[in-house]
Amino acid sequence: MKKLSRTGRKSRKSTALKSPQLLLGIILSGFVLTITFVSFFWTPWDPIGINVEDRLLPPNLSHWFGTDRLGRDLFSQIMVGSQNTLFVALISTILGAVLGTSLGLAAAGSGPRLGAVITRISDIGIALPSILIALVLATTLGPGRLSVIIAISFWFVPVTARVVVGPARQILALDFVEAAMTHGRSRRYILFRQVFPNIAPIVIVQTSMMFAAGILIEASLSFLGVGAQPPTTSWGKILMDSQPLVQQAPYYTILPGAFIVISVLGFNLIGDGLSVLLDPQQSKKGVV
Amino acid sequence: MIRVFIRSFTLMVISAFTGSVVVFVLLRSVGGDIATVMLGTRATQESLELLRETFGLNRSWVEQYVSWIGGVLTGNLGEAYSKQYVISTEIAQRLEPTLILTFGSLLISIPIALVVGLYSAMNFKRWRGASVDGIAQIGLAIPQFFLALVLVLIFAVRLGWLPATGYVSIFTDPVEALRSMVLPITTLSLGITAVFTRFVRTSMIEQMNEDYMRTAKAKGRTVRSAAIIHGLRNAAIPLVTTGALQIGALIAGSVVVENVFTIPGIGRLLLTSAVTREAITVQSLSLVILIIILTMNLFMDVLYGILDPRIRHKEARK
Repeated sequence: MKKLSRTGRKSRKSTALKSPQLLLGIILSGFVLTITFVSFFWTPWDPIGINVEDRLLPPNLSHWFGTDRLGRDLFSQIMVGSQNTLFVALISTILGAVLGTSLGLAAAGSGPRLGAVITRISDIGIALPSILIALVLATTLGPGRLSVIIAISFWFVPVTARVVVGPARQILALDFVEAAMTHGRSRRYILFRQVFPNIAPIVIVQTSMMFAAGILIEASLSFLGVGAQPPTTSWGKILMDSQPLVQQAPYYTILPGAFIVISVLGFNLIGDGLSVLLDPQQSKKGVV
Repeated sequence: MIRVFIRSFTLMVISAFTGSVVVFVLLRSVGGDIATVMLGTRATQESLELLRETFGLNRSWVEQYVSWIGGVLTGNLGEAYSKQYVISTEIAQRLEPTLILTFGSLLISIPIALVVGLYSAMNFKRWRGASVDGIAQIGLAIPQFFLALVLVLIFAVRLGWLPATGYVSIFTDPVEALRSMVLPITTLSLGITAVFTRFVRTSMIEQMNEDYMRTAKAKGRTVRSAAIIHGLRNAAIPLVTTGALQIGALIAGSVVVENVFTIPGIGRLLLTSAVTREAITVQSLSLVILIIILTMNLFMDVLYGILDPRIRHKEARK
C-alpha cells in the first residue's frame, strides 16, 4: 500500500481523511454491524415470539418498530435478520475476492494468449447476472443460503478478476519486477509477494463495494423467495412478508427497507472514500 | 465498421455457446439427477423413467445437448413438464413486456444521466454538484423491490394515480399500457440512472481539464457551451461500455420488478419455473436471457464504433 502512496500524494491523503463520505460510511456500516453483533446476545423481544393479538401494531414505546403479521417484534426481527444477510454477503465477498484476485493475477502473469482467454471468460461471467445463476441453482439445489452464496460468488470472481488484471499487468511491467526475475524469483513469488501488495488497495476497495452488492443481491433473492428459507429470517424475507400488507402497515415495509439502504450505502461510501484515500487514480473506476 | 461487427458477432456466438454449456452442466451436475430434481425425492421409479423417456434425459449428455441446441435454433423447445404450455410460444409471448420494460428503462436513464451528470460535473466544486453525487449514491443503495413497494404505496395506494399491478399490452390499449408501465420502468431505471449519472460526472470532470476544452474556451465559447458541444460527446462514449455492463443488471432487475408488479414477462416465468422445478424450461429460458444480454452488448459494441471515430479507424487500419 505504501509503495503507491509514496509518489507525492501526501497532501491528498490528509484531505481524504477529512472526506465526509468515508466518515459517513463508517458511521452507517458501524451502526449496522453493531446491531448485528448485539443481536447475537440480546434483542428487545424474542424475535420468534408469536403473539397474534398484537399483530401489526404500529411503532410504539414498547415495540419500537411495531410488530409484524404474526405479532413478532419487528425491530428484533430486523436485528436477527441482519445476521443472515451479512453472513451471505461476507462469505460471497471473501470467496469472490480471494478467487477473483488469484484468477486476475494468473491472467496477468500468464502469456498473452491464456490471459486473453481468461479475460474473455470473465467477461461472460460478468454478463451473467447473479439472480439468473441463483434461479438456475434454486432449480437444482433448491432455494436457500448455499445457492445464494454460490450464485453471488459466481459473479464476484470474474468481476474481481477483471478489476485486478489491468493494474497487475502495469505493475508487472515495472523495473523492480524485472529485477526480481533476474534474481531468479519464481513467478508465483513475484505475483503474490510483489504484485499483490501493490494492487491490494484496489482489492480492498473492490471488497467493500462487493460487500454492499452482496447485501443487495441477497435481499433481492430472499424477497423473491429463493434466498433464506424459514425458520431463518432475512431482510429480504421480512419485506416479502410485508408486501401484501403495504397498505395496512406501511412501517412494516419502510423500516426494514431502510436498514438495507443504510447498510448498502454505508459500505459503498466506505469503498468510495477508500478509493480516493488509497489510490486517487483508481477512484474513477470500479465495476460494481 | 463491418470488421467490428463481424468480430463482435463471433465473440457473441462463442459467449452464447459457452453460456449454454455452463447452464446445461449446472442443471445436470449440481443438484444430482435432473429427473429427481423435477419430481422430488419421493417420486416412484416408474414416474422417473417416464419423465426421462419423455424428455430424452436417458440419452448421453452430448446427445441431449445437441438436440436442445437444435431445438433452440429451430424454435422447437417442446412442452413444459406441467403440460400447461409449449415452451417456445410461451417465451415468445413473454418477450414483449420484458423488452418494453428493459429498453424503456435504458432509454429513460441515459438522457437523464447525461443532463444530471453534466450539471453535477460543471458544479463539482460546489455543494450543488456534490449533492447530485450524494443522491446518486442513495439511488444505488435502494433495492428495487423496496423502491417498488414504496412507489406502489405512494402512487397507487395513497394517491390512486397509477395501477399497482398488472400489464396491458401497448397494442390493445396504449394509454392504459403507458399508465401500467410508469411505476415498473421508474423502479427499474433508478439504479442504472444512478450508475450512469456518476459515470458521466466523473468522465465529464476529466474532460473539463482536457486541452481541447481550453482551446474551445480560448476561441470564445462559454464553459457551458464548450462542455455541451465538445465535452459531452467525449464523455458519452465510455458510457456505452458501462451501459453494456449494466444490461445484465437490468435483466436481473426485471426479474424482481416483474414479480412485484405481476407483469407476465420472462423474469416472472423464470422465477415460477425455478420454484416449481421446471428444469427444462429454466434451461431454455436462461439461454434466451443470455442471448438477449449478448445481443444488447453487440448493439453497444457497434454503437461504440459508430460514436467513436478513433475506434473505427483503428479497426480499419488493422
